[in-house]
Amino acid sequence: MKLADTIRRAGRSLRQAKARTLLTSLAIGVGAFTITLALAAGAGGRQYASDIISSNTDVRELYVQPKMDEGSMDFTKPQEYVEGPAMQFGGGASMKMLTEDDLAKLEKIENVAEVTPIYNASALYITREGQKKYQAGLEPYNAAIKSEVLAGVPGDIKEDEVILPSAFAEVLGLPLAEESIGKVVNVAMANAATGEEKMYPLKVRAIIKSSILSAVGSTTLQTSRATVAEMYDFSVEGTPLAKAYVGATVMANDEANAEDVKQAVIDAGYDAQTAEDLMGFLFQFINVLMGILIGFGALAVLTSVFGIINTQYISVLERTQQIGLMKALGMRRRDVGRLFKFEAAWIGFLGGALGSGVALLAGTMANPWISDTLSLGDSHLLIFQPWSFAAIIGGLMFVAVVSGILPSRKAAKLDPIEALRTE
Amino acid sequence: MIEVKHITKTYGKKQNAFVALDDVSLTIPKGASVAILGKSGSGKSTLMHAMSGLDRPEKGEVIIDGQNILKLKQKAVDRFRAEKIGFIFQSFFVQGNESVYDNVSLPLEIARVSRGKRKARVDEALRAVELTDKTKSKARNLSGGQKQRLAIARAIANEPSIIFADEPTGNLDSVTGDKIEKLLFGYNKQKNVTLIIVTHDPELAAKCDMLVNIKDGKIESIEQADVKAAKVTRRVTKKVQ
Ligand SMILES: Nc1ncnc2c1ncn2[C@@H]1O[C@H](COP(=O)(O)OP(=O)(O)OP(=O)(O)O)[C@@H](O)[C@H]1O
Ligand SMILES: [Mg+2]
Repeated sequence: MKLADTIRRAGRSLRQAKARTLLTSLAIGVGAFTITLALAAGAGGRQYASDIISSNTDVRELYVQPKMDEGSMDFTKPQEYVEGPAMQFGGGASMKMLTEDDLAKLEKIENVAEVTPIYNASALYITREGQKKYQAGLEPYNAAIKSEVLAGVPGDIKEDEVILPSAFAEVLGLPLAEESIGKVVNVAMANAATGEEKMYPLKVRAIIKSSILSAVGSTTLQTSRATVAEMYDFSVEGTPLAKAYVGATVMANDEANAEDVKQAVIDAGYDAQTAEDLMGFLFQFINVLMGILIGFGALAVLTSVFGIINTQYISVLERTQQIGLMKALGMRRRDVGRLFKFEAAWIGFLGGALGSGVALLAGTMANPWISDTLSLGDSHLLIFQPWSFAAIIGGLMFVAVVSGILPSRKAAKLDPIEALRTE
Repeated sequence: MIEVKHITKTYGKKQNAFVALDDVSLTIPKGASVAILGKSGSGKSTLMHAMSGLDRPEKGEVIIDGQNILKLKQKAVDRFRAEKIGFIFQSFFVQGNESVYDNVSLPLEIARVSRGKRKARVDEALRAVELTDKTKSKARNLSGGQKQRLAIARAIANEPSIIFADEPTGNLDSVTGDKIEKLLFGYNKQKNVTLIIVTHDPELAAKCDMLVNIKDGKIESIEQADVKAAKVTRRVTKKVQ
């Protein structure tokens, strides 16, 4: 029998047992549904994570820290003292810091455009005339980090200017509109050694939207690099941390060189990580969650395997006479076996298509609601990729065919005379 | 030509062993019509299965067109059946939940006849048994006689060179039975197809060129047409007297 005819006959046999076919494929459908949603959630999660990364980082950027030997944070044995500034932790551990010499060394590496120390700076408070005082973090403004601008133009920020997240503008009584641009806010810094306070009046350059996508955060002010440096220097002056930094941002002059620069920095004796390295754990987390969901789906598929085997065995028994006739008329063993395998494949196809179709429908309808509940804004948690449907349906057809092997073998082995004897 | 040489078929083992065919030999010329006669349980169906390559007797040879089909590989026997043989089974084995068309198309599909050619052959076979108007009906909705005709259409669709018919008129009234007989003998004469009929019915047997009597798995007698003709005349003269 030709392949096309076999497939057609297989489809017809299934149509003649509609209820049974449907019920058997529903079991697989449950698996397909779960796996489709798992893959969609995984894709959506990864998309969301990489959105976070790309809106908060620059791919040319490397985060460089002094090399930490394996044991530097090991509290189980004494650590040898190493010269140089270090951040002290309780229990006799410390983290080495970068010095000005280190920064100079990094700057000399080929293809490095810029080296910026990471200022671990926080303002004592920010306030405005007639308003309360609020705590705030400080960051140098980086044009590569995308954020939604509500008023003003962030662009070329000057030393006496500041970019406010909308949350701050609101509590400081500044409307989210152009009229707030140019208004003065006061940022107070305190020296860690003496406790001396200093006020920096800064003009509002722009207001950006506070977003959970943004790592800069809703409580971090952005100002010019020089201003942040000055504020930081003021706050640590006279302490051992003056002119020492927890790390530095090394900017490659081009995206293409980022990997080379990373290697060169590592070769120079530092730890270097790209933004993606830093966010790697996020992807890992998403993958684990997705894996668990897929596991549930696989369990459903495994259960349905027994359903398929059972259904196909019953089908072979029911159609003993038909099989006998086909074999008597000269149908080959292989073709008889194939007929039943195709039936199983149809069941797999039906279940896969049904399950993933319903998942697509349900997911598409649930997406706005999920985004709303988790306040993801315009991004969707469930992203359905066309390849995943093909893979799921194909995979389930394969599983179904494998489950159909035993019953189909039974059919192929039937003795036509015996089979025709059964009335 | 079909040559059956010293076939022995035993069912069961040891003390349960039952010899269904015991050293059976016969020769059937091409295009002949043959009746296999015998009581129920005498081994008629078993002989038919052996001659058609459905069954494999443990001893003997079945030589069809110079080839011993008992020596062929399973694949080759299947192909031989698909291409050369038409079957009409004792109980018709019509597939009730399929259409009349699909029933007749089955042996053609098995013989890998292309879709285009299939249509013409199915239509022709259905015309021959006068079932054209039922082409699209489900086979289960046919009457007994129509089912029997459908079984014949299925047997002749692939233009076989040998047709085996096991009790083709067994359950039919005499009018329908006559119709079926005419169909089979017509096909036998027109296309020079070898026709082998298993039957209880002496009247049907009398219409064949050759008559094989079986008793307890052994050949009791083989009558050829000329001898038979003499017998029939004798019987007729008896009646007249
Ligand atoms: N699979 C089997 N196992 C044991 N004995 C069998 C088997 N098949 C057939 N027989 C026996 O072989 C003998 C011949 O059977 P067969 O079917 O050839 O009879 P038949 O002449 O066609 O009878 P009927 O006219 O009733 O169809 C019978 O006695 C039957 O019981
Ligand atoms: Mg019989």
